[in-house]
Amino acid sequence: MTVAERARPRIMEVIERYGRCMELVPIDPNFHDISVALYEKHGTATVWTFSRREGVEDRIRQIRDQIAALGYMEPVDGTYNQLRPPCGVIHYRPLKFLMMQAVEKDPGFTHSEGPVKDLRSDLMLTFESTEVDGRTVYHVTGEGEARNPAGRLRAITGGFVRYGEMVRTEDGGVSFNCRARHDQLMRLLLPYARNVSGTQDMLDADALRGQMTTGTLGFTPPT
Amino acid sequence: MTFVETMTPRERVLSALAGGPVDRPPVANPTNVATVELMDLTEAPFPDANRDPELNARLAATGYTELGFDSIMPYFSIIQESSALGCEMQWEQKDNWPTVRMTNPIWKGPDDVHIPPGFLEHQDTIAMTRSISILKEEYGDEVAIIGKTMGPWTLAYHVFGVEPFLLMTIDDPDMTMRCLHNLKEISMLFGEAQIDAGADALTFPDHATGDLVSGEYYRRFLLEIHQEMSERLGVPLILHICGKTLDRMDYIAENGMSMFHFDSRNDPAEAKTIVGDRIGLVGNINNPVTLYSKGPEEVREEVYRCMDAGIDMIAPECAIPLATKLENLLEIPKAVREWCAERGE
Repeated sequence: MTVAERARPRIMEVIERYGRCMELVPIDPNFHDISVALYEKHGTATVWTFSRREGVEDRIRQIRDQIAALGYMEPVDGTYNQLRPPCGVIHYRPLKFLMMQAVEKDPGFTHSEGPVKDLRSDLMLTFESTEVDGRTVYHVTGEGEARNPAGRLRAITGGFVRYGEMVRTEDGGVSFNCRARHDQLMRLLLPYARNVSGTQDMLDADALRGQMTTGTLGFTPPT
Repeated sequence: MTFVETMTPRERVLSALAGGPVDRPPVANPTNVATVELMDLTEAPFPDANRDPELNARLAATGYTELGFDSIMPYFSIIQESSALGCEMQWEQKDNWPTVRMTNPIWKGPDDVHIPPGFLEHQDTIAMTRSISILKEEYGDEVAIIGKTMGPWTLAYHVFGVEPFLLMTIDDPDMTMRCLHNLKEISMLFGEAQIDAGADALTFPDHATGDLVSGEYYRRFLLEIHQEMSERLGVPLILHICGKTLDRMDYIAENGMSMFHFDSRNDPAEAKTIVGDRIGLVGNINNPVTLYSKGPEEVREEVYRCMDAGIDMIAPECAIPLATKLENLLEIPKAVREWCAERGE
């Protein structure tokens, strides 16, 4: 077998078939450290890996199903690796967190259904939704002690705008640009939205990993 | 207008390195184009692909077979010979670069510098030479095989530690020169071994970067050594230095090497104005932003900017991020061909 013959399938064919790579998780700790990506073409998302290890199809199916369970997309019938958003809109920014959780966490992981503790106060955070003119509007709420609860909730709402690709509504809430209800996506985003700077640090560190720079090589202090 | 290629990738790269005519600028990878997806595709993950010649060759070949670049670069990192010298290594995982633990330097001065017995038979040097032999046999007629040997400045960081070495350049420039002259023999030895194995050209990374030292440092400590290397090694050399280097390009252009692989922090048109025809330029598609986080449209814009500036070989600015999306890499040769078709060249 030559070097070239080992290198299958062809990358161009994968890109033509499944579209652009939206997210790439370099290591799947639950399956032989393979890389797993989410490609998108014409509104259909495809979970893909170039690995051909035995059992990989079952693992991809498991990840696909986790993405559906933890997020907002639905499995496409007759496939093992594809999903579509029922709202018709791919929400790109939350996909980073969705992929991280679906690939890196234990396959049985589920979102907490109850309130989530704030990191900067004693507030226990949750969200409520209302339907306004055909749009689902979410409001972040908190119970418990905080020095400035209104300010804290505004900051967390800002976190949803930043990491959820959401828009602010006039009454201080947020909604997805598709106007649809996505409660699971809200649950996914809440832990990140409550910790805007920590999440940004995590994303920055993630982006720096695997980069070859004078900093990562140790020639200069990391930036 | 349709663009028709009339040269093989190897002919194109070698002609460009010699300053000769080309049907189009080659797309090369003087540092490397390995990604985690390519590792899965070839079942050749890091860190093993840095240390096993067959895995190494399998992964390296994808730069040509899958991505359509005109060269193959099997030396992905910058640590192979330092490992063979006895430096303490951190091999990392599949998604990160192996590095030298420079906080535990192995040498203190020029008298310590020596080539250990069996240096060329060490696992981490022979992985490169054997890989080059495999690649040469399988692809050597069609595509340029580029090896890599670290210059003495980079080796000095590894063996003395960054801070002690930089302090030495201030406290005792003569001792620094003795260190560099002793270390250059390691560059020579490993470079020659790769040439013997079949490398058509060598990348010569020597990280006198703009982040760390001035352009004057390059003239004072490295210019003559680089001139000597280009005379002694006998194949085209591609100098690689990261960071802002416009302040030293006038000196670099005099080093006798074939090309300079430069960073995206330097404007390609400005770089070309400085070096003129004295040395070729290869680069300088941005890694951390464009290739890592943007899409093919932005990659294309940067390729066109390089082509418009007359850059001689198009390439990512340095070793690409290991999680680079493949569509962005495929866009580089595609954009070069389309630029040629649009401009009718």
